[in-house]
Amino acid sequence: MGVFVAADSIDKVFPLSGGGEYIALQGIDLEIKKGEFVSLIGHSGCGKSTLLNMIAGLDLPTEGIVTLEGQKVKKPGPDKMVIFQNYSLLPWLTVYQNIALAVDEVMGDYPAKERKEIIEQHIDLVGLRHAVDKYPKQLSGGMKQRVAIARALSIRPKLLLLDEPFGALDALTRGNLQEQLMRICEQYKITSVMVTHDVDEAVLLSDRIVMLTNGPGSNIGGILEVDIPRPRQRMEVVNHPSYYSLRSEIIYFLNQQKRIKKLRAKKTEAISRHGLEKVNLEIGFVPLTACAPLIIAQERGFFQKHGLDEVNLVRESSWRGIVDGIAGGYLDGAQMPAGMPTWLTAGGHQETPLPIVTALTMTRNGNGITLGQYFYEQGVHTVNELRRTLLESREKRHIFGMVHPSSMHNILLRYWLAAGGIDPDKDVHLETIPPAQMVADLKAGTIDGYCVGEPWNIRAATEGVGFTVATDLEIWQGHPGKVLGVREDWANTYPNSHIALVKAILEGCQYCADPANHEDVRQLLASRQYLSTDPEYIQLGDPKNYTCNVEKPVEYAHHMFFGEGMNRPSRTEHLWMMTQMARWGHIPFPRNWVEILERVCRVSVFSTAARELGMIDIKYRREPIKLFDGIAFDAEDPVNYLNELAIKQNFTMAEVHLDGVKNPMPIAA
Amino acid sequence: MTATTKIRRNGSNRQNALLKFWQKNKQEILPPIAGILGFLVVWQLISMVGLIKLPPPSSLWTDERTRTLLLYPFYDRGGLDKGLFWQTLASLGRVAQGYSLAALVGISVGILVGTQPLINKALDPLFQFLRMVAPLAWVPIALVALQQNQPAAIFVIFITAVWPILINTTEGVKQIPQDYINVQQVLQLSNKKFFFKILIPSALPYIFTGLRIAIGLAWLAIIAAEIVMSGIVGIGFFIWDAYQQNYISEIILAVVYIGAVGLLLDRAIAYLQKVIAPGE
Repeated sequence: MGVFVAADSIDKVFPLSGGGEYIALQGIDLEIKKGEFVSLIGHSGCGKSTLLNMIAGLDLPTEGIVTLEGQKVKKPGPDKMVIFQNYSLLPWLTVYQNIALAVDEVMGDYPAKERKEIIEQHIDLVGLRHAVDKYPKQLSGGMKQRVAIARALSIRPKLLLLDEPFGALDALTRGNLQEQLMRICEQYKITSVMVTHDVDEAVLLSDRIVMLTNGPGSNIGGILEVDIPRPRQRMEVVNHPSYYSLRSEIIYFLNQQKRIKKLRAKKTEAISRHGLEKVNLEIGFVPLTACAPLIIAQERGFFQKHGLDEVNLVRESSWRGIVDGIAGGYLDGAQMPAGMPTWLTAGGHQETPLPIVTALTMTRNGNGITLGQYFYEQGVHTVNELRRTLLESREKRHIFGMVHPSSMHNILLRYWLAAGGIDPDKDVHLETIPPAQMVADLKAGTIDGYCVGEPWNIRAATEGVGFTVATDLEIWQGHPGKVLGVREDWANTYPNSHIALVKAILEGCQYCADPANHEDVRQLLASRQYLSTDPEYIQLGDPKNYTCNVEKPVEYAHHMFFGEGMNRPSRTEHLWMMTQMARWGHIPFPRNWVEILERVCRVSVFSTAARELGMIDIKYRREPIKLFDGIAFDAEDPVNYLNELAIKQNFTMAEVHLDGVKNPMPIAA
Repeated sequence: MTATTKIRRNGSNRQNALLKFWQKNKQEILPPIAGILGFLVVWQLISMVGLIKLPPPSSLWTDERTRTLLLYPFYDRGGLDKGLFWQTLASLGRVAQGYSLAALVGISVGILVGTQPLINKALDPLFQFLRMVAPLAWVPIALVALQQNQPAAIFVIFITAVWPILINTTEGVKQIPQDYINVQQVLQLSNKKFFFKILIPSALPYIFTGLRIAIGLAWLAIIAAEIVMSGIVGIGFFIWDAYQQNYISEIILAVVYIGAVGLLLDRAIAYLQKVIAPGE
């Protein structure tokens, strides 16, 4: 179906009373198909209502045009009927008269009898037969909005525009009205555009959700397709696998907007002190057991010790927040999944290479693959048994959760599945879910299993919703988990701060590795500020106490924070991760992989830091990478290794140009 | 007291209802009565001891001329010698004419000015200027311009009453909520429909506020105007006449009439508002 409504590079500028002007909207391009339900979502003041008014013709764009069926919208009219938040009923007219006012005016050429029928029909449609002669002041908010809906629909608009239609209603009424509206829209195939700030409402009602960034100069930050089949039921959509990912996507977007607004207001300048170029650092982390070295460095004063007086740890709920923070330049550095530096550098994020360097591997191990409890009951204990079960139930879509394409969890889960003959893209479905949400999703049955860092495997096991089918010990003992990543341009601008940062965190790693400190680390991690969980779920030391299933004790591979060959960035490991990400099509395999590795792994910074800390005995571990399936990885010929893997996607190879790509570093610079 | 209550309790339903009404409302009724009585008693006393020259309230009855006026409001001996009812009615008649004219002009000009910002800009300073002119100041101008007492009196009422009506109507029209304007725009209502279905109902509370303020002003103005315009029937000139002849208690009686009528007029407009434009 063709385009029904189109907004073409719309700008809206309001003159200010002081003489200046406020750019409310900038460069809005939006196409709406016939019969589609589109929501506009964003923070207050982002211009979503302004956009709606321009589609309605109540307001005209400063630049660009809005078209309805190819005709330029110049003025409002009944073909673009609006339902307003405050109902806009005329208080001196009864329910019937309010609707009749619209019908008589718009359908004046219809015979009176027919008009009366239309009015009556729409009163019945919204179930207001009993209130037909009442005045608006005698009606509840929900009833008033029903009158407004009836009035809007009675004149058969081509396009229905809703401006926060249920914003002022209580939850129960809102739910009922949403269902009624949805039913009517489906029945009459009405094209609708709705402004809302309610995430659940947007997901429930929409075919597409348009997310607007914050003003000034708001534009479309992203458009989500809602693939939940219609007809939808309010109580049932929550069980659809896409529901929560859509929801969290929107919430993530909105939170991100809020943070950007805050950062715009803050505008930090680099503070130089103690011979360091920058001592005020914003370091991102995701609340996981693996973030312990950062938290220790902060809480136990290692940052200060090395001159970094003003380090602020920024909690992100997902890895995407880290990516956006680094790409947007408002994080100086971050805890990253091991694969992220190469993933970003090779252009995994929005297909734009963003050179990242890592000079420290912060943790190893600490991951596990958890499957739903029912697999256990079916006797699944290994990947081969899982394959058998999956083959038996092909009709069902099996969904596995992982946290980020570049995370070790994704790489290991895929490797594990593929090694067992399961194609992670064809036989199952992998979805990106924030770590903290995994257990809840598994409990709700929307996913079948996941691979994630601790404490979320132990937690599923203790809560009895899942069991750990494989840990690091069974996949790759001692694999890199999280690394410290900074932008290459940042590292070049602040070389001494970079070394100080590595030193502080390395000391944090050392602290975490000492069993004497485990209780302290656990208590710190569990506090509200960080993981906000029961210390029970945070296990660091001896694994023998923890079992994850009823009969067979599983030995967990606990985090390794510090030790020989642990912390120094390893080119071989990063190369292996690059092959894996290329294997699944996350990035092209770079022809200039040698150059990329040279630039990503900044061993010199690590060496300097270690030497200055007096840890001269930290060596590079030169063992080849050994995974559970015994396939050897030849670091000299990664392309051949890739070609020999049985299950893979058609990977591409490409030259990744790192220089000349402009990635603005607006705030941290 | 107990005995009477008992008897009443056994009496008819109507008596019971009355008693109930009294029980319920005596808190409301007693204080104003006590207040008025107290005021009259104090007045009586200070007049009797000669603290002020003003005759005491009892003079309304003791003074023979005044008693006649009090008892026979409807007498008419021709000329200016008429009962107070007729005097009041004549004044009211003038008010009715001037006020109606003021309402007509005030509402229509108000709507015009309210809907046309340009006209509003042009005329607003003029209106604000003219409305500050006291009613009495208009009297000589009106007399010079119109040459006769009757039309001049009506003009004074008109010019006093028109401003609050006009200004409130303008405001009412300007204050039509954006919601209703949106309805009009989206439905593309015709001007006629907009006028009757949205503009008038929406501005009505404002218009009535203007009308209520105006009726009070009109009544104030007529008394003042009549005092200056000699030789006409009307309560204003009646007071002036009585003063000239030193019938002070007659003035007191006339003042009671004026107050009562003013109160009634205000209530009447309030009632009208309640009927035509009940509150939201």
